[in-house]
Amino acid sequence: MNTFVNRFSTNNALSVIRKAQAVVDDDEEFSDAAWGSEAGFGSLAKGVPSFSIPAVHDPTAFLRLHTDDHADPNCRIKIQHGTTTLAFRFQGGVIVAVDSRATAGSYIASGTVKKVIEINPYLLGTMAGGAADCQYWETYLGIQCRLHELRNKERISVAAASKYLSNLVYSYKGMGLSMGTMICGWDKTGPAVFYVDSDGTRLKGDLFSVGSGSTFAYGVLDQGYRWDLTDEEAQELGRRSIYAAGHRDAFSGNTCNLYHVKEDGWRFLGNYDITKMHYDGPGDVPGSAQVAYGYDVRVEGRTSSNPPAAAATA
Amino acid sequence: MFLTRSEYDRGVNTFSPEGRLFQVEYAIEAIKLGSTTVGVRTPEGVVLGVEKRVQSPLLESASIEKIMEIDTHLGCAMSGLTADARTMIDHARVTAQNHSFTYNEQIKVESATQAVCDLALRFGESVHEEEAMMSRPFGVALLIAGIDELGPQLFHTDPSGTFMRYEAKAIGSGSEAAQSELQDKWHKQMTLREAEILTLRVLKQVMEEKLDHHNVQLAQVTPGKGFEILDEVKLKELVDDM
Amino acid sequence: MNPMNTASHPQQRQFNPYTENGGTILAIAGLDFSVIAGDTRQSEGYNIQTRYAPKVFRLTDRAVLAVNGFAADGNMFVKKVKQRLEWYRHAHAKDMPLHAIARLIQTMLYARRFFPYYVYNILGGIEDDGSGAVYSFDPVGSYERETCRAAGAAQSLVQPFLDNQIYFKNQQPALGTSHPAHLPLPQVLRLVIDSFTGATERHIEVGDGLEMFVVLAKGHDLAGLEGIAGLQEMSTKSDGERIFVIRRELKKD
Repeated sequence: MNTFVNRFSTNNALSVIRKAQAVVDDDEEFSDAAWGSEAGFGSLAKGVPSFSIPAVHDPTAFLRLHTDDHADPNCRIKIQHGTTTLAFRFQGGVIVAVDSRATAGSYIASGTVKKVIEINPYLLGTMAGGAADCQYWETYLGIQCRLHELRNKERISVAAASKYLSNLVYSYKGMGLSMGTMICGWDKTGPAVFYVDSDGTRLKGDLFSVGSGSTFAYGVLDQGYRWDLTDEEAQELGRRSIYAAGHRDAFSGNTCNLYHVKEDGWRFLGNYDITKMHYDGPGDVPGSAQVAYGYDVRVEGRTSSNPPAAAATA
Repeated sequence: MFLTRSEYDRGVNTFSPEGRLFQVEYAIEAIKLGSTTVGVRTPEGVVLGVEKRVQSPLLESASIEKIMEIDTHLGCAMSGLTADARTMIDHARVTAQNHSFTYNEQIKVESATQAVCDLALRFGESVHEEEAMMSRPFGVALLIAGIDELGPQLFHTDPSGTFMRYEAKAIGSGSEAAQSELQDKWHKQMTLREAEILTLRVLKQVMEEKLDHHNVQLAQVTPGKGFEILDEVKLKELVDDM
Repeated sequence: MNPMNTASHPQQRQFNPYTENGGTILAIAGLDFSVIAGDTRQSEGYNIQTRYAPKVFRLTDRAVLAVNGFAADGNMFVKKVKQRLEWYRHAHAKDMPLHAIARLIQTMLYARRFFPYYVYNILGGIEDDGSGAVYSFDPVGSYERETCRAAGAAQSLVQPFLDNQIYFKNQQPALGTSHPAHLPLPQVLRLVIDSFTGATERHIEVGDGLEMFVVLAKGHDLAGLEGIAGLQEMSTKSDGERIFVIRRELKKD
């Protein structure tokens, strides 16, 4: 059934895009405006970027064949995947915490990825799914938010910004974009978090986690979440949740990046090594009890991996 | 002379035998009907000043918008048919944002000015057998002020799509008197405050009404704070000090 | 065989415009310099097509781009980047800064989101503030500034070595000392050469020749480069950033 629906929606979206493509240009990604009188001002002179599409019957199937590593782990072009990201709203603003691992198949392509995208001084977006899709479209969202600000002399609301993004990715539905993101910020209504994904889903909510490690993060997050968390408690909860996901999900890990959005914009709080948090804790930071997150310290001498001296000799 | 002119001043695509484009020249004339606008460049930043003609006591002077922001490092003041300027400024804003999207850097002042002038030149042009985008030249001149790696700069654009860089420039109805006053008083090592006072003095000289903080507007672009329109308090203080 | 019979067997055809041409590239950023290197072997499957096909290209006096993956896409991509750099120079009367080239490459790669270039890019050079920088990209344009990065056939052999030698991963500093934040140029060059000789030993698609581009910040002394055999200068001016190439032989079996 799903395949059937997909085929229909895919073909619809494609025919529209193909037609648009035929009007826009012949075979190039550069529009006429990229040279001549608007020389060098970019491929976006028309305001909407244009994309090259292979001249085959079903471009989406083509893309899937060569890039989707879930369908075929041996495919050539490996788009980076795998993540844990979370964001929640509370009395003191919004906490955004993410891991920093990027995987291509089972190879750890990077352990230092910035999965929080700083859209502008008041808006953050998180990155899950295709790294390029998130980076590109959230940067694009940034310039649209700035234009909104210039034209309306007022900052865009988080609701409006997230809706802009959601409408944008919806127009590419069925083309193979992959992104699951949380748009976080503070506007006239107070702290706000919206979940937006490439299927076109857009949800307003208090607490979200996205990515392969989200189930683990939710476990910690749901248990510790209250609206009246203090700033320090909330920051610690974000850190602790990402640690849990990094510990249990093979596709997540390396480090945790933590952000706090308040009325006057976002602030980057720090980068915490997940291995270090396991053995030593996050260190001397607000909200931390300065003990290791791993349970080794709590079971010292009572498990089979490090038995008490008596049991070991017995 | 009158005869030749009336034959060649209808279309925007036709030169007169003397090599003139009358519609463009008329558009430049339209600016001289506009309110006076002044720009002054100093090593510390650029100052823009405009006269707001409050034609009726019932008019809300705060709703007259003749200085606009293009980006954090770019501002613009206008004279002439201000409605036309909105199209141009929106184009400049979009160009500036597209530049920062594609190159992750702020657009240069000259490049933004060039983009506006490219648009100004597109009257009477039709692309791909479509209807022409514009039917006439813009009837507005702009003073574009900004700061980039080359320091503070001031550009003047006119309806012909020509742009030039100035140390100090006046446009609009009082521009002739204002420009000669600027020529007398401007000097290389001006401070920003001196430039603000000079701008106000020049405007005062050419304005029919008595200058106060309601009928002028001042803006500046500085390396520290970028573009900002001076608020009433600051403006009043400057007017009092003048 | 009856040609009419083909209809009875299901046949599948697909549009496959990509091949994998092997090889490895690598870049390391220093405090005020950057080294970008690649081997020169080009292969398809088990056949070596050529022993000299450059994968590292000078873009400007302070930017070098290394491309790896499908050679035809890579060469075309470099050509188009150079074209955009020239347009930019005409429009804005200056050379494009490194961070701007990085963003431009993202937008160019992403413009082919639905028909990707099969190319892994690493951009190295000097930023406006004089610091050495490396940017790495995935085929559809996600990018990140890093200190070092290996890509291509032997990336999984080389990257762990760099993690250990550049980031000092899994190393404990001797008591009372700490790891240096930046390595000096001669040591970086030694690491690059070792990376490639090592990769050549253990990977069939790596070998033949090594090209190392060195970009030095404005006013940087030659830091021992003078004595190196086969050093070639690629910069157009001598008062700005300077680019040099060092070529080395790698095993050819």
